Amino acid sequence: MSQLPLRGWSRLLARRDIGILLLIAVTTAVVGFMDSRFISLDVWLGIFIRSAPTMIVACGVMAVILTGEIDISAGSLMALLAAVMGLLISQSKAALSLWIGIPAVLALGTAIGTGTGLLVSYGRVPSLVATLGLMTALRGLTTIVMGGKNIDGLPPALQDAAKRGWFGVPVSVWVASLVVLMTSLLFYRMPLGRRIYAAGSSPASARAAGLHIQRIQVFTFAWAGFLTAVATLVDVPRLPWIESGIGSDLELLVITCVVVGGVSISGGRGDLSSVLAAVVLMTMIRPVLTFLDVGEMGEKWTRAIQGVFILLAVIADQISIRFLWRKSAKVRR
Amino acid sequence: MTPAPDSDQSPVNRARFDQQSADQQQNSDSGPFRKSIFHDSGFRWWHEVAVFVLLVLVLMVAQELVPGFLNPRSQLLLSRHVWEMALISLGMMLIIITAGIDLSVGSTMGLCAVAFGVSFEMTSSILLSCLFCVLTGFGCGALNGALISRWRLHPLIVTLATYAAYRGIAEGWSQGHSWSGFGASFSQLSRGRLLGIPYPGLTFFALTVIAAIVLWKTPAGKHLSAMGYNEKAARFSGIRVDLNRFLLFCISGTLSGLAAVFYVARFDTAKADAGEGFELDAITAVVAGGTSIFGGRGNVIGTILGLLLIHETRQFVGRYWGIEELKSIFVGGLLISFVLIYQFLRPSGQRV
Repeated sequence: MSQLPLRGWSRLLARRDIGILLLIAVTTAVVGFMDSRFISLDVWLGIFIRSAPTMIVACGVMAVILTGEIDISAGSLMALLAAVMGLLISQSKAALSLWIGIPAVLALGTAIGTGTGLLVSYGRVPSLVATLGLMTALRGLTTIVMGGKNIDGLPPALQDAAKRGWFGVPVSVWVASLVVLMTSLLFYRMPLGRRIYAAGSSPASARAAGLHIQRIQVFTFAWAGFLTAVATLVDVPRLPWIESGIGSDLELLVITCVVVGGVSISGGRGDLSSVLAAVVLMTMIRPVLTFLDVGEMGEKWTRAIQGVFILLAVIADQISIRFLWRKSAKVRR
Repeated sequence: MTPAPDSDQSPVNRARFDQQSADQQQNSDSGPFRKSIFHDSGFRWWHEVAVFVLLVLVLMVAQELVPGFLNPRSQLLLSRHVWEMALISLGMMLIIITAGIDLSVGSTMGLCAVAFGVSFEMTSSILLSCLFCVLTGFGCGALNGALISRWRLHPLIVTLATYAAYRGIAEGWSQGHSWSGFGASFSQLSRGRLLGIPYPGLTFFALTVIAAIVLWKTPAGKHLSAMGYNEKAARFSGIRVDLNRFLLFCISGTLSGLAAVFYVARFDTAKADAGEGFELDAITAVVAGGTSIFGGRGNVIGTILGLLLIHETRQFVGRYWGIEELKSIFVGGLLISFVLIYQFLRPSGQRV
């Protein structure tokens, strides 16, 4: 959309991130007016801590979606990686050193991502089917690996970093900022990032221009797997123990954020800033419901609200595209 | 441009030709003349034969390792687990033939089950509750269909949204509450038999026959596969693509509602978690049965074979190893490997 020749206000309208930030600001103002405790450092730090793993994973899944594919296995992958991490470094299990455990988890995440990428690009399995199959298979594998028991006793160093971190901000927020920085460099400053966009917006012309689309796809899936592993390492130690249900519905949340952030599901269009704003917006739903004091009853509606947000986002996309096309046609004349 | 392999000039084949030649241009690395040996022989049932052989193998191994696995009584007993999934797979097959997908079927079942429970609490009439349950399913499907055909949204993203929304509404509406005690006559709906076949099975077979007739013997069937091969071409040849798509999602939703009735009858419990994970099983069965996920190809016989294969594998794995989670590993693995096999058996160039 941002490529359309537009002037003045309609240029602002075409920017998804500004719309989402406005929505966040309005919600904050309304909730803050009803309960002033909502506008405090603690609440917002909490929101950022909760959104950190989603942001990290979203950076990877967004790359996959930009090439026109989809990855719905992130949540199950996180569960498996958490289980493996527990088995490797937990004091009640193998109790290996962190210097072995952390690289091993990162390597496993990247390896599984690469495998999915190979299936999709060279094996020509549609990504939806491949990751749908992987989603169930990994979830089952996790339960078997853990033997039906929860794992506890992660090294205190890791738990400390995840809970307290540096300067009172947990390590996950620091890592999320780093990942966001790296991803924006990748998307907007590196040739590979432009190739990802090119591969998604028109595969035929990208191929004609000499790009290896299959290699780009393998890279994006590997990147998504790697970032899932990063998110696992920084977020899971926050929990008292590791259970097999970790990361359930994470894939749905991430895809919701990416779609609400205006990334086209057929690839090639969307920017990182809107996706990040969308992550904050979606993470806000639960604290807002808590502050509105709707109680237990309201919490159960979280998923429904998520679904409605996706629908609103895609419908808004359609409407604004039609509207802006008409506008830009006027400018061109 | 290479000449078309099919001399047949029906719109369907022409649509396929368009797509093939477009793809051959794109796949310069695989070469324009690479053809599948299976395609050249003109025999169109390789996939079904492969699934059938695999099914026989699984049954033989199962009979060897689990004595009495194959005897009719235990098979009939095990079949209780399959009918709801079978009903859903039927709608899913029709949608996948048109190159669409419906991820919301399981969540629709959850919402329908809650609708059943709520209306039973209010009216305490089984008949009205069943009606309301199926109507809810129809409504869910119609909403999907309307969004997809009216707004031209991607089916994947719409049904992913409603996958979350319907389950969320079911959870929010029921607030974790579950309804039970619908009476013995209602549970007869899932247990009772006519000619030795349970009622849900009879419903499934009747609907299957209708689907087969529609697919093979009516213009509508040809329209569906034309839509799957090349939607644009189908639109230009006067097929009412949007209307057909809307109706398909209505059918899929209604079938989910029907499946929810049988599901509630089987467990005698209506709860928001009804049908969780059914979308994956249904997609796996349909794809294993040789329906192309890219649209265009698919038939009833393949789907029944795929269903049987998934069902028997699950039951065998469950009974032999006794580990629930192994089943999901098998189902996920089967799904991926079948699409891989399909990609090797397919005629070249037939891609999205």
